[in-house]
Amino acid sequence: MATYLLRRLLLGLLTLLAITFIVYGLARNMPGTPLTVQMGESDPSRKLNPEDQERMKRIYGLDRPWHEGYLRWLGNVVRGDLGRSFSRKQPVTTLIGERIGPTFLLSGTALLLTWLLGVPLGLYASARSGLADERATSLLLYVLYSFPTFVAALFLQIIFAVWLRGTSWELPLFGMSDLPADAGFAARAVDIARHAILPVTCQTYVSLAYDSRFIKANMEEAVRQDYIRTARAKGAGPGRVLFHHAFRNTLIPLVTLLGLSLPGLIGGSVIIEQIFTWPGMGRLFFESIRERDYPTIMGLTLMFSVLTLVGQLLADLLYCLVDPRVSVE
Amino acid sequence: MRRWNDSGLSASSAVVVWAAVALAIPACGRKPGDMPPKVLPESTTGQTTASPPAGTTPDRSPEPFDPPPLATLNADSTWIDRPVRDGLTLLREQQSQETPAVPVAEAMALRNTSSAINKQILSTLGRLPDSGTADLSARIDRHVAGDLGSTNPIMISTTAEFDILGLTGFGLFSFGRDLEPFASAETVVSWQTSADGLLDKVVLRDDLVWSDGEPITAHDIAFTYQVIMDRRVPVPAVRSGTDQMRWVHAYDDRTVIFFHKEPLATNVWNINFPVLPKHVYENTWEDDPTLKESPEHVKLEESPVSGGPYEIVERKRGQQIVLRRRANWSEVGGRKVREEPFFKEVRFRIIEDPNTSLLALKAGEIDELALTPEQWTTQTTGDDFYASNTKVTASEWVSFHFGWNIDSLFFADRRVRRAMSYAFDHDGMLERLCYDLYKPAAGNFPDDSWMAPKKKPQPYKQDLDKAEALLDEAGWIDHDNDGVRDKEIDGRFVPFEFSMLVNQQPLRIAICTLMKESLEQVGVRMNVRPTEATVIQDLTQNKKFQAYFGGWGAGTDPDSSENIWATGAGRNFVSYSNPEVDRLFAEGRRELDRGKRAEKYGRIQEILYDDQPYTWLFWRNSFYGFSKDLRGYVFSPRGPYNYSPGFGSLWMPKQE
Repeated sequence: MATYLLRRLLLGLLTLLAITFIVYGLARNMPGTPLTVQMGESDPSRKLNPEDQERMKRIYGLDRPWHEGYLRWLGNVVRGDLGRSFSRKQPVTTLIGERIGPTFLLSGTALLLTWLLGVPLGLYASARSGLADERATSLLLYVLYSFPTFVAALFLQIIFAVWLRGTSWELPLFGMSDLPADAGFAARAVDIARHAILPVTCQTYVSLAYDSRFIKANMEEAVRQDYIRTARAKGAGPGRVLFHHAFRNTLIPLVTLLGLSLPGLIGGSVIIEQIFTWPGMGRLFFESIRERDYPTIMGLTLMFSVLTLVGQLLADLLYCLVDPRVSVE
Repeated sequence: MRRWNDSGLSASSAVVVWAAVALAIPACGRKPGDMPPKVLPESTTGQTTASPPAGTTPDRSPEPFDPPPLATLNADSTWIDRPVRDGLTLLREQQSQETPAVPVAEAMALRNTSSAINKQILSTLGRLPDSGTADLSARIDRHVAGDLGSTNPIMISTTAEFDILGLTGFGLFSFGRDLEPFASAETVVSWQTSADGLLDKVVLRDDLVWSDGEPITAHDIAFTYQVIMDRRVPVPAVRSGTDQMRWVHAYDDRTVIFFHKEPLATNVWNINFPVLPKHVYENTWEDDPTLKESPEHVKLEESPVSGGPYEIVERKRGQQIVLRRRANWSEVGGRKVREEPFFKEVRFRIIEDPNTSLLALKAGEIDELALTPEQWTTQTTGDDFYASNTKVTASEWVSFHFGWNIDSLFFADRRVRRAMSYAFDHDGMLERLCYDLYKPAAGNFPDDSWMAPKKKPQPYKQDLDKAEALLDEAGWIDHDNDGVRDKEIDGRFVPFEFSMLVNQQPLRIAICTLMKESLEQVGVRMNVRPTEATVIQDLTQNKKFQAYFGGWGAGTDPDSSENIWATGAGRNFVSYSNPEVDRLFAEGRRELDRGKRAEKYGRIQEILYDDQPYTWLFWRNSFYGFSKDLRGYVFSPRGPYNYSPGFGSLWMPKQE
């Protein structure tokens, strides 16, 4: 077990090095630099002269070749310093810290809801497979799955924030909270929860359709196995067959899925955050790419890569739990 | 992993408006700092070498200067008085000569479907309050499309930052609706320029305090100049302009003199820069010249000391910034020293998504919003919009163009560039794509500006025969009958096929596609290349393009166009070079007589029209939706905010 872990961790470190090296190289070689962005957005009569551009390049460390920049970044990371955002003028760790809570609130809730609803729905679908009610539900889920979130978001906004305005069904149009920072905890919690309803709905429904179909597909395969026939033959009830015999055997792909959704928990969603002006990680990542904000891009890349690797490792370890035949040795 | 899929889709939500941002400019409200004109690209003044080249430079710049005593200056100079005005008073005087076109209730019921109705709405709802009718405890919710990078006055560069600085920053100068500069009566007693044009002397009022209660003095201004000019301080934008000065010196608490390198017509813009509170920064800035890393500076970034009528009271990153009127702006030492601004609170709400922004206006979450042309035409015509809002439009000094890279194979020949302008279906663009909302453009300076020539160049109209004749003449002929013109260059037939870079916005892509169709009719193949804004900026700056679609906002001073047209200049993406234009810009900057200056810029306009380095397309309007609770919006060629009084003239009536 220890050697396995050690091997995985070493491999993980190498992977991290490779990922960050490649991403840093790609980011630095995208056309444009943070200065180009500034030049493009600043007032035409306030353009930097060439000399000032050189000065800013030196200050940002862009006068050195990118591989040197990577080594310097790596050196700082090892010392626990992710650097400072060029465009936001804050340490990257502070930026991530500010965004992680709101992101987790949305995606954590959405993930929880997805699984709480998706597993029963998937089981229900496989139990009632082929019957009219299951067909109807599946159709609905397919429709939902193919319905773009940005359109759904707009409809929800129009209905709940514009049409129902002034009624008790009204929900906030955008943002995370309307209350001042000194409002009471309970009031703030309710306020934030109300703001979260629409974005969470949008983030949930697509995954819900996907996950329940995923479970159903796996179940379909499981119920065709010999051991299910055996279980039925020995007289196990349909519920017991479904949960005890079939579902438990579909846990492996499910655990993989769960492991892979770990980075998504923190990654956030660009579209939903953008539409609802939710101060999350997805928007930060998207903007930092647009702004060529290398320190932020790298900080986020590092975090996502670590989470992906940890998620996979966790999934692999969980396999041993859910399947006695799997061993890490 | 599925959760990441959507990030690929969101290109449409990117809000960068390259070029168009160019126009979106600084400072507004009562205390605006207009931006001084550009950076001199080449050493046209003969003095730009005052700062030694980068790399070998000492940290300190500018070079030390020993200002002569005030008595000597006063004895040696003849001082000419310059205007000291109050933007709001000017507007009030002007409005007292006019009568509203219709009663308020009627104006509110109007639907803005024609320019006549637009005028009526503006004439009635754009008026300032009669005394006592404004609700001085009102809050306005303003829309802003992006968050602030910094609240430090000298670190700003984006539109949002300039918007906020317009309300929280201290400034000596401003400019009115006609874009004429003046010293602001709210902060200045007198402003004089020496007869030789080398000195500007400003005497500050003695009733000015920072939001922390410390007096605002001339020393703050001299100190800020030193900080801005220090090479260690990463000032992004505000250095251009101040770097044209020789020195700034405070002779006492109230008297400050700006020393210029040369007597230029543009000096008036160079002396206008944001001001830092000296008492706050003098002990911290040398230890942390980045102005953002030390604990003191981090704290200041969160709650800056304000010198304008408002101060920042809350900043929720990515969500909103709340400004509150500060009492010690209008009342100092227990007496009322100046008018308080109409709003008690200004809340900037950050909404990036244009659809959400419009819904927010309809739902009353925000009180004002700059509309896109599509929103203006199709999404703000029904009851859902007019229930609590109205909308107005006004022409703006922002024009769009196709830029032809003169260094490329195709566009070195003026005849080819003219052929491009003749080939384009201008009317199709104006009528079908722009819904007849825009006026056609024919040159760099707007027709209604003082710098345009007396005889206005006529906008191009589509004339395919002329286009074909010009292309034939330039040697582009379809030799191989494949439908595309070609020309023998270095023994090889080169087909006339090029790419047009354009920002990923539907209207812009549609205009380029129309050009593609137009050119097909004259045997030229054009590929439309929708490209991310930063990439366009990078490619155009490095001249790695053949043609691009872009736009510029005309500056307050015509000299700010020099860096578009002068040989080798920073914004001269198309590599245009005409010695006469270079000379006229250099002369225009030195000419202090307005009439003679206008002739030079008029001549530039004519030369540019002949040379057609751009195919000019249209002047863009500004479109705004306003809550019916709002009054007092008046537009300048730079929109409703970025001048004086600008935002300062907006108000809300008391509720009965």
